[in-house]
Amino acid sequence: MEMKPNQKEGTLKDFLNDYKMSRRSFMKRASVATGGAIALGTTVKPTLRALAQASETTGSGAGEWKAATCQGCTSWCSKQVYVVDGRAVKVRGNPNSKVNGEASCPRVHLALQQVYDPDRIKTPMKRTNPKKGRNEDPKFVPISWDEALGTIADKIMELRNNNETHKYMLMRGRYSYMRDVLYDRMTKIIGSPNNISHSAICAEAEKFGPYYTEGYWGYRQYDVQRARYILLWGADPLAANRQVSYYSAVWGDAVDSATIAIAEPRLSATAAKADEWLPLKPGTDGALAVAIAHVLLTEGLWYKEFVGDFIDGENRFVSGQYVDSELFEEKHTNGIVTWWNLELKDKTPEWAAKITDLPVEQIKRVAVGYGQAAPHAISWLGGGPCMQVRGGYASMAVHALNGIVGAVDNVGGTQQSNKEYTTKFPKPDDFLDEIAKAGKKHKKIDHRGRLEFPALNKKPGGGVVTNNAADGILNADPNEIKVAIGYMNNFAFSCPQPERWERALAKIPFLVHITTNASEFSWFADILLPDTHHMFEKWGYVKAIGNGYRHVTLMQPIIEPVGDYKIDETEIPWLIAEKLAEKGFSNLLDHYKTYIDPETGKAPTNEKEFALYALKYATQNLWDPAKYKGGDKFSGWNELIKAGVWNSDPYPYRKKWSNMKTKTKKFEFYSETLKDVLEKHAEKHNTTVDHVLEVCNYLARGEMVFVPHYEEAFIAGDEKEYPFIHVDYKSRLNREGRSANCTWYHDFKDLDPGDVPWQDVAKINPRDARPLGIKNGDKVKLTSPSGSLTCTASLWEGVRPGTIAKCYGQGHWAYGRVASRVFGKVPRGGSSNDLIPAQYDRLSGSTAFYATTRIKIEKA
Amino acid sequence: MPKYAMVIDLQRCVGCGACSIACRNENNVPDGIYWSNKITETAGTFPNVRFHYLPTLCNHCSDAPCVEGCPTKAMHKLDNGITMHDPDKCIGCRYCQYNCPYEVIYFNWQDPHKFWRNPKPVIEGGTSSPKEMAQTVNNGNGAPYSNPGRGKTLPENRPKGVVEKCTFCDHRIKVGEIPYCVEACPADARIFGDLDKPDSKVNRLLGKFKPYRLKERLGTEPNVYYIRSFNPAHYQRTKGGI
Repeated sequence: MEMKPNQKEGTLKDFLNDYKMSRRSFMKRASVATGGAIALGTTVKPTLRALAQASETTGSGAGEWKAATCQGCTSWCSKQVYVVDGRAVKVRGNPNSKVNGEASCPRVHLALQQVYDPDRIKTPMKRTNPKKGRNEDPKFVPISWDEALGTIADKIMELRNNNETHKYMLMRGRYSYMRDVLYDRMTKIIGSPNNISHSAICAEAEKFGPYYTEGYWGYRQYDVQRARYILLWGADPLAANRQVSYYSAVWGDAVDSATIAIAEPRLSATAAKADEWLPLKPGTDGALAVAIAHVLLTEGLWYKEFVGDFIDGENRFVSGQYVDSELFEEKHTNGIVTWWNLELKDKTPEWAAKITDLPVEQIKRVAVGYGQAAPHAISWLGGGPCMQVRGGYASMAVHALNGIVGAVDNVGGTQQSNKEYTTKFPKPDDFLDEIAKAGKKHKKIDHRGRLEFPALNKKPGGGVVTNNAADGILNADPNEIKVAIGYMNNFAFSCPQPERWERALAKIPFLVHITTNASEFSWFADILLPDTHHMFEKWGYVKAIGNGYRHVTLMQPIIEPVGDYKIDETEIPWLIAEKLAEKGFSNLLDHYKTYIDPETGKAPTNEKEFALYALKYATQNLWDPAKYKGGDKFSGWNELIKAGVWNSDPYPYRKKWSNMKTKTKKFEFYSETLKDVLEKHAEKHNTTVDHVLEVCNYLARGEMVFVPHYEEAFIAGDEKEYPFIHVDYKSRLNREGRSANCTWYHDFKDLDPGDVPWQDVAKINPRDARPLGIKNGDKVKLTSPSGSLTCTASLWEGVRPGTIAKCYGQGHWAYGRVASRVFGKVPRGGSSNDLIPAQYDRLSGSTAFYATTRIKIEKA
Repeated sequence: MPKYAMVIDLQRCVGCGACSIACRNENNVPDGIYWSNKITETAGTFPNVRFHYLPTLCNHCSDAPCVEGCPTKAMHKLDNGITMHDPDKCIGCRYCQYNCPYEVIYFNWQDPHKFWRNPKPVIEGGTSSPKEMAQTVNNGNGAPYSNPGRGKTLPENRPKGVVEKCTFCDHRIKVGEIPYCVEACPADARIFGDLDKPDSKVNRLLGKFKPYRLKERLGTEPNVYYIRSFNPAHYQRTKGGI
């Protein structure tokens, strides 16, 4: 369906002050309009009779607000759903949450269109066309759950009987903390190392910087209400990730109390309300960050209570001059002088201006303003600067600014997570037989931990390299994958260079997809299993931080499901376990039976009991007064489930100063923690750290490897052939790429500044478009060295010349009738991932999305 | 008798449009029709450029040209100041739509929620058709998530051939609830209240800030007021120069 754009861009002035039209002339216009209006009226026959029918309402109309959780993005807000006769009608913020409270971002409402999406699969299905490929209609036909589960169990048993359980693979997409039932326990007990999460296409590089400076592998909270300066880097908290609801609620006050600056090549929703927009050249964030650090030190603006000072109080940080580290006494940090000597001393604003293409004065102004606000000065690291090739170091550099100004773990600064008290599921160890133990010892399909993929999540190979699993499967390296299950993931859409996934998935002899919609991933599946919608139909819980609190918010089945859906993380593994037991392998079912209901002591006897008991088991410390450890106190399970959310105690500031989980316990400007883990990785491969860096495509060598620094971006494509740098971003209506089948998504697409309803636009600066003869609304083809897409041109001043900004979220060729132009065949718009080559920030294992490729634009 | 008004604080507004999407939901407004809407503007040229957002809705004018021009009194004023529409009396002449200087009245050119009448599934036997989904969930009464509360004072879904527009959620006000866009705004940028109560929250704000209304010179006396600025950015003081 195509709607006319309802756009009034550019007419603001007319509405505010209509000098041309007086009351008198308006009346005149009204009378002129009379004739036309009446004439028009006669062409349409009002169907008043329809009124009687239309006004009938079903049921009593009286509903109830029931607690729920939104996973439309990873804000993971606690919500309430208005349920009328088993039907979801409205959604609002859960006032019981101290993280988001009553506030709700716009995309939460789209959950209603998701849960009642007509294109949701309502029954298990099997493929009847044995040929697999993008242009092969799978010819899915409905089957019973019994048949579907029986087939899956047969395939798993085949692997077990042949001692090749390592050829089983589980791919995880959007998860709740019930994940380990399916992701961890089932994979282990079957006997495979191959549980592959989506994490590295999310934002692992965003955790890399904070980990190798302050020992925290996680997303930060930002105390915006008490900040005096907020410097954002490729983060757009009014539109996308994280705590969008909370930040939307308080931003109107933050703009009063803080100066807000944002470094980002396109004018984002947050930039629209900012004091300073720094539209830097993509991939140069690290240069800007070290230049700001340079100014902070030369101007004496570091926070002395945190960093310390020169013994005699004289500032020896002078541009271009080495400093004797003996003269500086550090307090809660490690290596400020070393960092200065290695990286910062020459990184002047003038140097950065040339690289970033920002005015020197602006760099200085922002740096000084930021420093003067210390310690209430946030350096807000988003995915933009670090989900790049070599982005790990930009991640460190941007986060290190928080260290210089003492904003880390401080009032008006950045915070880690508050404590929470959920418990892990029972251990699987006793249920692993010899086949499983042997199978588990094989190497993982994503190549993590290899020389070229350090994926340093706390240890070498500690992180996942999601997107590389496609190459692992394609090359059968280290082994072929014969049986795979994916749940709530869509790697054939959500990963850069997705045609690799199309080929990889087509190669897997038996693929199962647990999903709400028949997506691009599903297209290659042998069996589809209809999943519940997390917000309305599932038992589960997630944890989130914000506003100085952590909440644990619950998901529960609160509506009448339309289809024969089962819960991905609990019910389905239980049912598979039952089938495996029928076929002679009962270890998985025996393990699941240990998830006893803490209230009654009963073991689960079916999938529904299992789903509920598992949740009660994991959250017992929150609801059982006898196990109380902190935060909100409840009288029992029923009270928790009614409230829907548990809140932690408030954040204890400054408790981590000199008590960080780094090697030195300090905030590390010189990262002993990174040095340790990199040396271990090098040792494992009998080589040097420098060689690791070389193989992994970083430029630093020697001591520079261990300090935050600028590395030139690695961008695919020759500048002459591909004159523009591609800028990818997320829509404020994206529900992680799953909302494109909602009509509200398209009807309100212009809520993203510069976007157009019912279009997928490439935004180009008018001064770039003019010489190319490209006009607003033209069909255009974007091409990169690794792919191309077709969409619509939008000429917009909010885009940095030399770049083209294109939103992620559209370009589905499956998923549903609205998301695609022709279901299974023709995409609506184009997916940015078709442009982005499969590249990595190898130290963190992250897939690169930003400043990763050059593109060209042509009229289509 | 109260006289209802809304104040929109543009500084609090984050331009997220939750008001407009929530309105769709509360009032069962079909796609393409925007009871709650916006005017956006990208001002300036790179790099000196900003995006501005102004939420709009029916202004519930005290001197409403849409009411004045309606030949059947379908469009009428309630005692509480709400500009209300009675689709029973509407002959679909669209006079009100032409008369409204704010472009906030919409005409139903087609049967509402046509999307939900489509009988074709994308996978035969494996997915529902929209029609089947709407029928199973809500007896085919509009969208599956159709809000029955809206049906209290207007047809739950307005038929083809009549106009429709924002009613300040009169059905909610009747039961002591504020308009849904106000409730749904995450930023509390919308403040609703009674101008006849001297100490109401709206009066306090109108007395504290210089409010403005859209196209004031037309004399329509809108009851939607705007205060503060969407982008209250600081800047370095200057006298400029030649």
